[in-house]
Amino acid sequence: MTAVGHTQRRRRATHESFLRHRGFLFLKLSTVLCVAAVAAYLLQDARPRPGGGTFLGYLLGTVGALLIVWLALLGVRKRAVTDGHYSLKAWVSAHVYLGLSLIAIATLHTGFHFGWNVHTLAYALMLLVIASGVFGVWAYAVLPQRLSDNRGDTTRKQMLASLSSLDEAIAEAAQPLGRAAADIARLSLEHTEVGGNFWQRLTGRWNDCANDKAIARIPAALAAADGREATALRKVDELLQRKARALAQARRQMHITAMLEAWLFVHVPATFALLAALTVHIVSVFLYW
Amino acid sequence: MTQAITLRLVTRQAGGGEIVRQRRIDTGEALIGRAPECDIHLPDLAVDMQHALLRVTGLNRVMVESLTGQPFLADGKFTLRADLDMRASPVLGFGDYSLQLGVGADDDIAVTVARKEDAGAPTPALFSLRASLFSRRLVAWTLGLIIFAFCLVLPFSGRAVMDSFKIHPDQQWSTGPLSKAHAFLEKDCQACHVKAFVSVRDGACLSCHQAGRAPAVQDAADARVRREGSANLPLLIFDHAPHDRILRAMPPPPTIRGRVGGLFESVLNHPNDRCASCHREHTTAPPEPAVAKTADILRTGKPALVVVSDCAGCHARLKMRLPDTRLIDTPDWNRHPDFRPQVTVGFDGATPKLQRISLAAHPVEANGLAFSHRIHMNPIGGVARQGFELGLTKGYGAALTCDSCHRADGLGGFKPMEMERDCGACHSLAFAQVGGQLKTLRHHDMRNIPGVLAGAKAASGGPNVDPAVLRRAMQPGGLCVDCHTVRPAATPFGGQILPVKVAGRLLPAGDFNHAVPAHGGLGTGAAQCADCHKATTSDRSGDLLLEGIATCRACHGKTEHDTPRFAAANCGECHGYHSPGQAPLTGQDRLFRALGAAPGAKARGLPLF
Repeated sequence: MTAVGHTQRRRRATHESFLRHRGFLFLKLSTVLCVAAVAAYLLQDARPRPGGGTFLGYLLGTVGALLIVWLALLGVRKRAVTDGHYSLKAWVSAHVYLGLSLIAIATLHTGFHFGWNVHTLAYALMLLVIASGVFGVWAYAVLPQRLSDNRGDTTRKQMLASLSSLDEAIAEAAQPLGRAAADIARLSLEHTEVGGNFWQRLTGRWNDCANDKAIARIPAALAAADGREATALRKVDELLQRKARALAQARRQMHITAMLEAWLFVHVPATFALLAALTVHIVSVFLYW
Repeated sequence: MTQAITLRLVTRQAGGGEIVRQRRIDTGEALIGRAPECDIHLPDLAVDMQHALLRVTGLNRVMVESLTGQPFLADGKFTLRADLDMRASPVLGFGDYSLQLGVGADDDIAVTVARKEDAGAPTPALFSLRASLFSRRLVAWTLGLIIFAFCLVLPFSGRAVMDSFKIHPDQQWSTGPLSKAHAFLEKDCQACHVKAFVSVRDGACLSCHQAGRAPAVQDAADARVRREGSANLPLLIFDHAPHDRILRAMPPPPTIRGRVGGLFESVLNHPNDRCASCHREHTTAPPEPAVAKTADILRTGKPALVVVSDCAGCHARLKMRLPDTRLIDTPDWNRHPDFRPQVTVGFDGATPKLQRISLAAHPVEANGLAFSHRIHMNPIGGVARQGFELGLTKGYGAALTCDSCHRADGLGGFKPMEMERDCGACHSLAFAQVGGQLKTLRHHDMRNIPGVLAGAKAASGGPNVDPAVLRRAMQPGGLCVDCHTVRPAATPFGGQILPVKVAGRLLPAGDFNHAVPAHGGLGTGAAQCADCHKATTSDRSGDLLLEGIATCRACHGKTEHDTPRFAAANCGECHGYHSPGQAPLTGQDRLFRALGAAPGAKARGLPLF
């Protein structure tokens, strides 16, 4: 029986994304939560005006705070390998939809009452976390296919290995070259940065690539080269062109990977900041009750 | 003989081992370069084809010179020429290659050539953003701790220190602006939030607003408010009943939500009978679509008022919850009981005995006076004639009107009656004539007749009063008897004047502002004195001259369709929650009081319309 159950789970895992988990169970749950919150907000008789200090305000605040803490616990849950009924996929599905429901719950908790204070800071951080999470959902839905298309049949290791062997070939081919021409090869070999910085990876633009600069310098060097050196230069040129293509593929892979990962560099730190601001919000409200 | 050079070429293998090839050069010279024909062949693009020449110049001495003008490394320094002692084991560097020189085992020059280790091939981790960016965890903790430190720890523990630099870090906890009345407290959160984790208690509010305190205490409180930066002094308030009776009179919340809320509030030590339960700060006025958004909407004059329980909430069935109350249940204006004026029913010694008696019982005051409004206000009687004769210069000149005697105090009421001022023009207290001048008693002095007789308090510059004069005055038809009730008694004057209590406030629990134009006879259709006071037909001084509440209802509670004199019927028109016996002051009232106040007088509250 266990084996059958396992197989069923596997099948489901293969064919169903976390967004569609169990027939959009958590989307429905989240919708019910939002509708209930909006209805309660509209039906309440809050005086002088709706806000965090009314009965519904405290209720929505408590629900929102518990949700935020539970949503943050995904970071703990995903590191724990379990085989229980609550699969990681179910967690992620709930994380996404319940996280989105926070927009309604927390906004109604505020009663549309904002200011330059620690309370609105917590709200703004929460929106930042949600916005980065929404980008993450988009990234996880779209980018893996692009990564796969870009990679083709090669692995990331093979991409790096091919770059490395191209470098060796360039160094070999450039041996007959005099210093001036050899410097062109050295420019590519010693100054080409495959990875680059955060913005290069995120924008996918490597404008000052040393390999491209080396290729640009070849025609001038060829004009000044004699027979033997010219032959070697042409060989080097061909290798540099091949390296450029290999670099482009590897960098596309990095660009897509960057987009796939970048949201987490906002999502995770902003979550920690949110948890701190939420704590301050709650403590300060009761400290100066 | 020149020392031989022994070359050891070391090649490291991927597996970790080394391959060493050895060659001996006897010429004492070795060419270093990238060209394959060089003695020391270094296939590195950073090395020139024939980069340098190594020459043995003496015993264990070697000279290395660049042949192309390109430098090389000798013991870590770039140079074009190096004279080296082999015993010092110098190291040369060309591109990625290092040449370790030294004295060999056969007293020759040993040159060990090795390529520097590669930095290590990049791993697939290079593809991850982590390869180029900060550690998520580090930034997460840093951000969290910064917020924690600056937004919680600093305001909590550094407040005392920072306040002295006029920085108030706890202001970031403020959930919204305070009202204009309290705006001066915005930098002093703890003026109201006295105790951590305890909701704002009445003590904080009453420290400024408590009425009925000793003048010195009140002055100290006012001085504190001024020091804090307030332009206005606080309004002083009373409770309209003892707090515990107010609580007992309050009905439970009508809804389940309210009851659950109340349960939570009591469990969480956030009671709803506090000042702050109704007077809410840090909140803006409720958004009214019809009201233009002005600064006043964002920062209202007074704290937002949330009525936890309105007047009828308690007073509709007050007897049920407060059986010992003397008040009559009043569910609404239409069922407001008729007036029960406070009537003087007699005297206990000189102290008047006051009693609330319903108008329905036609109460008559035993005020000790004899006075007929009818006679005084008759337009064709002797009084009118006397008024005409007295003339305009003495403030008369015609038949008497109400204000001939009743003088408005400017605050909606009337000044207390004074015999000389209000009656003395006709009712003379002259008792003798000296040198053509009348000598007059002072009405107030008559409370001390023996003293008057002794001359102590008689009018100055005359003879003492003759007891016979007073005796005549107290006889029937005498001067005193015109107005006073005189009881025959065994006194030197044959009678005794009974104590007098001129009615002040007939309705002590309600306010009636005679200065309101609609009440004071100004404006079209406005009330005249006679609408409420049937003075022209009253012959007895004990007549209350007060009409029933139906007279009020002619205007109050009516709509503009009913009468052009329509007026509101809410309880606050006459009764103040925090000012028993007075209607709540409006902003306009406060403004007029502030404008009309004498210099140095303490106008309280924010003078706002």
